[in-house]
Amino acid sequence: MAIYDARRRRSKFFLGLCYVFVAVGLGWLALILGTLLIEGFRGLSPAVFTEMTPPPGAEGGLLNAIAGSLIMTAIGVIVGAPLGMLAGTYMAEYGRYSKLTVVVRFINDILLSAPSIVVGLFVYEVMVVSMGHFSALAGAMALAVIVLPVVVRTTEDMLLLVPHTLREAASALGMSRSIVIAKVAYRAARAGLITGVLLAIARISGETAPLLFTALNNQFFSADVFKPMASLPVVIFQFALSPYKEWQQLAWTGALLITLAVLALSITARALQTQRNAK
Amino acid sequence: MADGVAVDEVRLGQTEAHLARVFAGLKFRNALFHLLTLACAWAVLLLLGGVIVSLVIGALPSIRAFGAGFYTTEVWNPVTEKFGGMAPMYGTIVTSTIAMALAVPSAFGIAIFLTELCPFRLRRPIGIAIELLAGIPSIIFGIWGLFVFAPFLQEHVQPPLIALFANVPVLSTLFAGPPYGIGVLTAGIVLAIMVLPIITSISRDVFETVPDMLKEAAYGVGCTTWEVVRFVVIPYTRIGLLGGVMLGLGRALGETMAVTFVIGNAHRIKASLLAPGTTISATIANEFTEAVGDLYTSALIQLGLILFLITFIILAISRYMLMRMHIQEG
Amino acid sequence: MTYLGELPEWEEASNAEKMPQRDGAAVPAPEAGDGPAANGGEFAGAGEAPKFGAVSKPPSAPLVPSKTQAELEHKVTIRNLNFYYGESQALKNVSLPIYAKQVTAFIGPSGCGKSTLLRILNRMYDLYPNQRAEGEVLLDGVNILRREQDLNLLRARVGMVFQKPTPFPMTIHDNIAFGIKLYHKLPKSELRDRVESALKQAALWEEVKDKLHASGLSLSGGQQQRLCIARTVAIEPEVILLDEPCSALDPISTAKIEETIDELKQEYTIAIVTHNMQQAARVSDHTAFMYLGELIEFGDTAHLFTAPAKTQTQNYITGRFG
Repeated sequence: MAIYDARRRRSKFFLGLCYVFVAVGLGWLALILGTLLIEGFRGLSPAVFTEMTPPPGAEGGLLNAIAGSLIMTAIGVIVGAPLGMLAGTYMAEYGRYSKLTVVVRFINDILLSAPSIVVGLFVYEVMVVSMGHFSALAGAMALAVIVLPVVVRTTEDMLLLVPHTLREAASALGMSRSIVIAKVAYRAARAGLITGVLLAIARISGETAPLLFTALNNQFFSADVFKPMASLPVVIFQFALSPYKEWQQLAWTGALLITLAVLALSITARALQTQRNAK
Repeated sequence: MADGVAVDEVRLGQTEAHLARVFAGLKFRNALFHLLTLACAWAVLLLLGGVIVSLVIGALPSIRAFGAGFYTTEVWNPVTEKFGGMAPMYGTIVTSTIAMALAVPSAFGIAIFLTELCPFRLRRPIGIAIELLAGIPSIIFGIWGLFVFAPFLQEHVQPPLIALFANVPVLSTLFAGPPYGIGVLTAGIVLAIMVLPIITSISRDVFETVPDMLKEAAYGVGCTTWEVVRFVVIPYTRIGLLGGVMLGLGRALGETMAVTFVIGNAHRIKASLLAPGTTISATIANEFTEAVGDLYTSALIQLGLILFLITFIILAISRYMLMRMHIQEG
Repeated sequence: MTYLGELPEWEEASNAEKMPQRDGAAVPAPEAGDGPAANGGEFAGAGEAPKFGAVSKPPSAPLVPSKTQAELEHKVTIRNLNFYYGESQALKNVSLPIYAKQVTAFIGPSGCGKSTLLRILNRMYDLYPNQRAEGEVLLDGVNILRREQDLNLLRARVGMVFQKPTPFPMTIHDNIAFGIKLYHKLPKSELRDRVESALKQAALWEEVKDKLHASGLSLSGGQQQRLCIARTVAIEPEVILLDEPCSALDPISTAKIEETIDELKQEYTIAIVTHNMQQAARVSDHTAFMYLGELIEFGDTAHLFTAPAKTQTQNYITGRFG
């Protein structure tokens, strides 16, 4: 009986520890989000969306940063997502059993988890050095490099989920492979593919490091992709590390905006996924 | 009648020819598409190759200038152009170690809670919440660390900690020095909070793959819940758990923003965890845009190369181990 | 199908009696010439007491149980058991005994509640929300459904073998030692002896004695299932529950396990759920036929299979439904 009591006690202890971890772990995260909401909202005003980033000590907004983020994110996705989808298509369709796919999958996983600052260095070497100056285009390319592995992975996973029977039925009708893929497989996996792109966008929305020395920063509004461009994350980085109260406040607000955007994208992606599963 | 047949035959011939053309066109399109997708798959490979090559080329001046000494020198002097990577490397390893030591047990604990202890109705919401949290950009953790956590530690936690261990042999050196608030330990803790959702999410997914019947078999011989977890669930899932941990480690090593704000950016190796230090990514992030001179830039790129290689190796090892264990299990 | 039109005259069991008593004298003891071979598997004409030939049994099993039901001791008594999955009722007012050191089989079409019933006996349903039981299940006279019942201790007395083999992710030796170590602190040599004894009881010792440190998963399906049986007997339970233990196995493994069950019943009380009627007839002493959550008929196996009291039972056994 003594052994049994000791076992019961041990079980209670370790399971109790689990509860502690939940409270502490999730508690921290709740704390951080709460602080973000409070501090961020404090500085939230229409001015944030209408005025440019101010010089030190002055009031202002984040318009150029927001615009810059949107532009570079858009370009990054437009370049990275199709490439990723096509590569993923090869891996799931034409090359499903080939050795190349095995290698590409491995390499892709590494790129997926690669430090994003290294991506920034790479694009710096390739684009900034050769162009001679920082540019939004370089920033967008850095984002594209981050988008690519995410989309490759999700595309391959989603296409692999499309049942054989669907493909065989299409082929039996005489459709060539490319049409089978384009019309049948893509359509069947559509929700999943879109989810993948949404997740990729969410991922790059908050990336700072790759933009630091590719797109640099810009105090003024610029839509010229060949010039440096401001972006929310980089602006936050600069403002947060400064000693100016107004800048710090804008940093919090900017952080809140990014977080809301990321959450919105993630929730949409999940909702799409649930919808697909419900079918 | 004969005319009708002839007309039919002609029509048939036309149809065949038409079909032949159509199929030829489809075949061409198919071949084109095939080629296109193949090219994109190769692009992924070339991208990695390109990254490594460009990093090596960029780091070459620094490698040539400092050789092996780069890894053993703490000195980081832009003025005299003498650079050594020991401080950033040390900082990277120490912060990641602290982060994993804190995050992994917590992640397992939360995952166990979610799969065994949590009331059923709460499981999905909490699980979703954790996945969403995993997507929060690291810069958020960074500014929170800088504005909220570090000052808090500086005022309320570090002084008592220093006083507490003042006379204890080993711990007094670990927890010595003025309470800056920021520092290696702070960065490690912030990093831990950041990687926690990812490891938790993967661990929970992995725990859920344990067949109910297997757990019932364990309960069936009279195991307590903890015993089922310890002797059946965790051994059954150890592959996946290791994979999740490795992934978390990879993220922790390469993390820039969560760390840069609170590490203190001091190119020094100090014994105390409360001292400021630096990591590879923090160094690059802080200094790259202001790096004057090719050697300076090159040294920073060399640091980037080192970081990339470390992450590469960790990932490769984890995949290799997964492969080995799969084979062993038969 | 032939005997349907020629039902022998038999005492009609009244509705209130779910456990037909049988007078030992009414059953003819098998004589040398009488038996499966002699009858050719067919029923005698109306009016004659049926021979036990309609069902084949392994020659070693006695065709007549050595004790009458009146003499058998109750190990488990189920009284007025009702079970609910959420709102829907899965078991309706089930009552029957499970006799000590005998094999009781539960048969019936899918969804009739036999697995549900089995899983109540070790309160496995407790792991899941929305499942609840009402009524009484007495193990040696004590109701195990009561709240204060310690579940871990209950499961130490009532062991279970599942539909699919479920070896733990450990070595063969550890699979079995694991359970033992939960309850005893034994020196290594004694532990080794207990493991050997358990494996012998499960008829697995000869096949694995040289590879006790191989992974449990490296065994074949049938061997894995015997490993699970060994694991169950290692902790020396009093009752063993078998939930369709052979459904995932090939016929040879099935036969081996049935032999094992035959030997195990000398030590343990056994309850087995099976989809395979012939298996129930081969292996058990008593059989309960269930349908849609109700106990339709319970009786001595030979009796139930050759001359069931209820039409429903008869229809199921002859394959008219299910």
